[in-house]
Amino acid sequence: MIKTDKVLDAKGLACPMPIVKTKKAIGEVEPGQVLEIQATDKGSTADLQAWAKSTGHQYLGTKEEGDVLKHYLRKASEAETKEESSYPHVINNDELKTKLGNEDIVVLDVREPAEYAFSRIPGAKSIPLGELEERMSELNEEDNIHVVCRTGNRSDRAAQILSEKGYKNVLNVVPGMSEWDGETEND
Amino acid sequence: MARKVAIIASNGSLFDAYKVFNVATAAAASDSEVAIFFTFEGLNLIHKEGHKQLPIPEGKEHYEEGFKNSNVPSIPDLVEMAKELDVKLIGCQMTMDVMGLEKEHFVDGIDVGGAVTFLDFAENADVTLTF
Repeated sequence: MIKTDKVLDAKGLACPMPIVKTKKAIGEVEPGQVLEIQATDKGSTADLQAWAKSTGHQYLGTKEEGDVLKHYLRKASEAETKEESSYPHVINNDELKTKLGNEDIVVLDVREPAEYAFSRIPGAKSIPLGELEERMSELNEEDNIHVVCRTGNRSDRAAQILSEKGYKNVLNVVPGMSEWDGETEND
Repeated sequence: MARKVAIIASNGSLFDAYKVFNVATAAAASDSEVAIFFTFEGLNLIHKEGHKQLPIPEGKEHYEEGFKNSNVPSIPDLVEMAKELDVKLIGCQMTMDVMGLEKEHFVDGIDVGGAVTFLDFAENADVTLTF
């Protein structure tokens, strides 16, 4: 089970209904939240990918369960498209790649669980940004923490929160998973 | 700027209706601005009574079962949906005059215009389709 914010039942519906319903449902979730679309229309996988591309929302992936296709979409938020970074200590994707396996580091993935489920850096720990404050005790203050998200924005906020709480060795990975070409794993 | 899709509907069978309204609603749901110009037999697709009983092309009657089994939405449903998604439906004035039809013979919410009304929209459309 992947955690989502809303589930749309489009099972049994033919094209173009899954898309039309998706359009309505995405209006009912907040930016950054994840929508799960359950469909049986076999064309819906390609359609949703194309739809996400033209509307700017993020297509996370699809899982097949029997005849049902479960598609995952994350609603785009304007803040993320802005390149804004205020946490000063950053590391780029390539530098992180060389550290993996060679240094004792913690990769902290602050994206939503559905994003994490479909593709992540092997061994990365998942704490969505929204849960960071309450789950911070799962991290040690001395850990060598590398925070990653999709484009470097949520991880920037996470890095700031961590350093304010006394975590000493925190780096923000830029840009993050959107351009990650190293190894990945998924559920 | 939203993508603009301009569609000309000039045929009046059930198949034509699906081609037109499926593409139109899918495009509108993808945040495109969509206008359909209904002309000649295409006017059937928005005729108040006509659009509820569009003919299946001769010899293709066996598809009727397929339509039922695949659970495709009905044409009246698709027309409603198109309107909800702000698809602009334009009836061709000249054809209406020829056929002796008035605006009230059509589903609510249509515009009536001449070729220029459509051309004005289609001029800077990104996609233009004819059915």
